[in-house]
Amino acid sequence: MQINSVICANALTVRVDDRTLLDNLNFSVGKGEVFALLGGNGAGKSTTLKTFLGLMKASSGSATVLGHNATTYPNDVQKSVAYLPESVTLYGHLSGLENIRYFLSVAGVAKSDDDIFAALRKVALQEDSWHKALSNYSKGMRQKTAIALALLRNAPVLFLDEPTSGLDPAAIDEFNALVSELAANGATIFMVTHDVYGACQVAHRIVLLSNGILTGSFERIGDAPIDTEAVHAAFAGRKA
Amino acid sequence: MMRFTDLKREANFVFGHRQIKLTLLVVFLLSVVSLWSGYAEMQEQQATIERLLEKDQIEREAVITQQSNFGMVAYYAFHLTYAPPSPLAFAAVGERDVFPWKHRIRMLALEGQIYESDTDNPELAFLGRFDFAFVTSILLPLFIILLLYDLKAKEREARRFDLLNVTARNAHAIWTSRVLVTLVPLALVTLTPFVVFGLANGAPVLSILTVCAIVIGNIAIWSAIVLVIGTAKRFANFSATHLASVMLGVWLVTTVIVPVTAHTVINSVIETPEGGDIVLTQREAVNSAWDKPVEDTWRAFIATHPQWADYTEFDPERDSSFNWKWYYAFQQVGDQTASELSRGFQASTLQKDTIASYVALFSPSLLTQRLLSSAADTDVEAMVSYENDVRAFHKSLRKFYYYHLFKDPEFSQESLKALPQFTPSTDTSHNNRSGKKE
Repeated sequence: MQINSVICANALTVRVDDRTLLDNLNFSVGKGEVFALLGGNGAGKSTTLKTFLGLMKASSGSATVLGHNATTYPNDVQKSVAYLPESVTLYGHLSGLENIRYFLSVAGVAKSDDDIFAALRKVALQEDSWHKALSNYSKGMRQKTAIALALLRNAPVLFLDEPTSGLDPAAIDEFNALVSELAANGATIFMVTHDVYGACQVAHRIVLLSNGILTGSFERIGDAPIDTEAVHAAFAGRKA
Repeated sequence: MMRFTDLKREANFVFGHRQIKLTLLVVFLLSVVSLWSGYAEMQEQQATIERLLEKDQIEREAVITQQSNFGMVAYYAFHLTYAPPSPLAFAAVGERDVFPWKHRIRMLALEGQIYESDTDNPELAFLGRFDFAFVTSILLPLFIILLLYDLKAKEREARRFDLLNVTARNAHAIWTSRVLVTLVPLALVTLTPFVVFGLANGAPVLSILTVCAIVIGNIAIWSAIVLVIGTAKRFANFSATHLASVMLGVWLVTTVIVPVTAHTVINSVIETPEGGDIVLTQREAVNSAWDKPVEDTWRAFIATHPQWADYTEFDPERDSSFNWKWYYAFQQVGDQTASELSRGFQASTLQKDTIASYVALFSPSLLTQRLLSSAADTDVEAMVSYENDVRAFHKSLRKFYYYHLFKDPEFSQESLKALPQFTPSTDTSHNNRSGKKE
């Protein structure tokens, strides 16, 4: 893991109408780091994610990605990130392969079929499903398709929204392994989740968010996963 | 900036949906059927005119050969007047459905002959014939709503909107391309049959292009309405279904409620003489002339025709108590008596039409229909122009017969060769809307 700051929240505050959704957040994420923002429903996780993606605006402070301010230059941010939404709903009437081709074209990224096949193999999507309509895919298969898309875009930063939600344990293990591999190859990964166990397995750092305020931080020491019990206790205590 | 690859990609994407292809097929069929319907109607009108023209000539010649004086010829000889359908009338039947487009007239008082069938202020009664103008002005907006109402809302509801925006090199290019690859085929399936029918019917290319521009303008206006509603912040949280409801509401208000309300208000505010009143006034004036002193008729007639003041004497031996000069003079006076009502009727009709043209600014569909009728010469102005052509022709008939009745030259079949013939106006600029030819 390197310490160069790729993602940075500096006194980040988001208000909508009279409600403060994020209140003075400060953190930074380095290159190759897997950063997990952990919180319950309504904690402000998705708001944080959308602000970094340039889909919501900071009321004060800043959210920057690779030095680009997401509020003032959202297009610059979006060019250099890949986004995996919570519910990967690509186009159901297209096959996995067609979805990838479509979204690569939307992104303006030219890739050969060989490149696409390689990415699909890397995410372990069964070859017999590549040409089937996405409406027949399980959530895990759709997730893999979206990850393959992210890989093909060669984005240095990945934003993942509840990536393991709804996946079976085997799929979660596969996903975690893939995330670790991507990070090892230099990708910076920012995930928001309420899955304490999953976050502890894969993240280098976990930050707790409650009611738009950062309430705790846990960091991996060496190769050992972050202590699930400690995070769980802090998370549950904060929720309580 | 949008690229060709964006268009190509979105074209493949949009046409991957069976619903889009089906919708375009339905629009194509509606366009063809409406054009065929209008074409068949105009063919029938043209055939009627040709059939009547043929009989008109034969009948008049028969009358002329059987009569021995100008008064009898003038009484029995009918003349067909008609407004032939323009080469584009098949696309917008317009007011030809409401106003008369043919009259068989003779030397008797004219106004009664024109207004025998009353017209019911037709300028806003547009939900009528199923023609190309109906399809493009009334139905096409519904298909635009159907194709575009969920352009973004569908993606939001499927939770793809954020993914598309974050992934896109240029998110704007996605939506612009999708709109274009939807609307261009829509315009093509609508207009291609029209262009084919237009060329086959011998319509001028410029007129065809004008109609195409009007239809494309209507598509652009309705697309803008749909897109503005679909992207308005006020409706940002609306589902696709709710957005469709709002758009249909706008269609209902601008296409039905505004024109119908305006129609009702205009008709109640602008006083218009009834066609029946004109007929009655004229006939009463004519019928009462039989019982009035002859001098009363001559006084009224000479007031407008002073050139015949010295020719009002009867020939007691030949005419006994009846004289054709006097007879046609009181027919003329009958028209003069009804002329104020008649002018009022026409002025009111045109005034209503003018007000309706302002109302059309608030109704894209009504505006489109009016523009199409204008391009096809089937609007109120064209029909009023025809009415004035009839008056002008009748005036030339009177001029001819007055000379032969008052100057009293010897009757001969030869002199009737100079009898005026009605020639339909080819003027398409509505210069005759105020009856200036008279």
